[in-house]
Amino acid sequence: MPDLASAATNAPVTGDVPASGVDPALAGFIYLEARLADEARYSEWEALWDDDALYWVPMGPGHDPRVNLSYIYDNRRRIRSRIAQLNSGNRHSQTPPSVIRRVISNLEVVARDVDTTTIASNFALFEYRFDLIVWAGRYAHRIRTRGGDLKLVSKTVHLVNAGGPVSTMSFLI
Amino acid sequence: MTELDTRPPRAVDVPALVKPDRVHGSVYTSQEIYDLEMTRIFREGWVFVAHESEVPEPGDYITRRIGGEPWIVARGRDGVVRVLANRCTHRGNRLCNADAGNSSSFRCPYHGWTFSNDGTLTGVPMRNGYGEQFDAVLNGLGLKPAAAVDSYRGFVFACLSTPPKTLLEHLGRATTAMDRLLALSPTGELDLRAGWMKHDMPCNWKMVMENNVDGYHALFTHASVYDAVKPAKVSHIPSKVEVWVRDLGDGHSEIDYSPEYTRLDEEFVWFGRIRREKLPRYVAAMEEAYGPEDTHRAFVVGPPHTLIFPNLFLAEMNIMMVEPMGPGRSIAYTTPALIPGADELNEKMLRRAEGAMGPAGFLIADDGEIGARNQLGLAGPAPEWVVLSRGTESDLNDATGIVNHDKSAETPQRGWWRHWASVLAGQASAGSDSDDKGAVHA
Repeated sequence: MPDLASAATNAPVTGDVPASGVDPALAGFIYLEARLADEARYSEWEALWDDDALYWVPMGPGHDPRVNLSYIYDNRRRIRSRIAQLNSGNRHSQTPPSVIRRVISNLEVVARDVDTTTIASNFALFEYRFDLIVWAGRYAHRIRTRGGDLKLVSKTVHLVNAGGPVSTMSFLI
Repeated sequence: MTELDTRPPRAVDVPALVKPDRVHGSVYTSQEIYDLEMTRIFREGWVFVAHESEVPEPGDYITRRIGGEPWIVARGRDGVVRVLANRCTHRGNRLCNADAGNSSSFRCPYHGWTFSNDGTLTGVPMRNGYGEQFDAVLNGLGLKPAAAVDSYRGFVFACLSTPPKTLLEHLGRATTAMDRLLALSPTGELDLRAGWMKHDMPCNWKMVMENNVDGYHALFTHASVYDAVKPAKVSHIPSKVEVWVRDLGDGHSEIDYSPEYTRLDEEFVWFGRIRREKLPRYVAAMEEAYGPEDTHRAFVVGPPHTLIFPNLFLAEMNIMMVEPMGPGRSIAYTTPALIPGADELNEKMLRRAEGAMGPAGFLIADDGEIGARNQLGLAGPAPEWVVLSRGTESDLNDATGIVNHDKSAETPQRGWWRHWASVLAGQASAGSDSDDKGAVHA
């Protein structure tokens, strides 16, 4: 597993990647992922993931999921379960779904290998449920290019308030 | 969430709020009742503050709030775990501002006063300013310690004022639950250092606690898990299982799965029915420590599902503590109860904790939502009462407490409220419970 925590926080550019060179198709994929999550289009969102998926929301920078508890540490199977629960209509904490819009900016390519590109970004997310809740942090999206197809391999979410307390986070962050 | 209690303030008449089978809705919403709880329960009674494994080495410290007050839990050079007010004795600055760390002393950044981690004031800059009084200042202004600190098998409790009873008297029969958890550890120890999820919930702290031992809600609140993800470990339909609820006395209560697990005589039903072949080193260490028979028994009956009054919940292989933040806000802290040396188990325990617990957990996120809606519903003043009468006629008294063989009985909640009322009325003096038990069943 790549060191996504440092990729997300220190943004070391590896390989011969121009710092500002984010492929518009990859940026578009990140915006699509965000919009599907915002609009509670759960199954469409799930379809973005590749088989070796990891959806990770750590509780602090530099954490090791083998010894540190995370808010979310979903492999592909658990992502499927999460989506099945959201689609059940009885996930009370998302019934009805929170109204959400998020803004993503400061996209940077931070790592690249044979078929994947890791892009770090900042986000601000506005969730309206009982009240307006603001979430913010840094994303690292690792995206696989296979033929003309793009798949999400991993998404790491470093919340600015990862140390907590945090509100219920059963929407797709 | 906006606080929606718009009723006028009133004096707290505790006996009028709690009946054997119902409680007044205002116990969840009233600021006056909340203030009284902070005094009677959190400042005058025993509360869980930390686990010894969180401060394993001399110099280790963590910071906690108890009843809204800032405290430091620190292990001194002498190995003693102390609970000290996290407030500079000079001008009141919060002294230690990290969640955790290691330091032999704490230095206030305001005027440089320095305190040893045993609380002694060791340094006051520009001492001449105090003239002849300096020694008196130095000796009289150590960090204020909690009036009493004691532990049971690694669980550290504090009482901020002179305790009305010993910790063991406070724990009463709840020690059996901690013993049950520790029976799963070959060394008899736990490791609570994976980090605490801090889940901000817009509901009253008692709602969080009570719900933890509610055997009635699972089929409904958690329908999305059992219908769409995976079936429950054993049925939640009371008539189909030997799952009991129990009022242990002293406000402690539990859902006891052990009769059902014992009937099945199957190991690890409570841990995804994992096969012991997958945990060879852990099984060997357990059999080495306790022998094959007790090991099998521990693997069958599994961990406790037990609430320890007022703020601790032994959530099977997780530990939860709940911090009140006002009548309508609570923070639930959750961490897995890792077992030292049981690496085969521990990483799975992390993943299971993330799956079930905390802000994004498949279970607790929905409990938080239900708590929030409860708070919104209770903003309506009528009907006045919340009903807790389920199973009143089938409660049984035995040596373990008040037991009900119907897991959906509200026996645990009745026990909680009976004790809560006696504490709030200032009647929780020396002696173990059973005292307040008679009030209902006389």
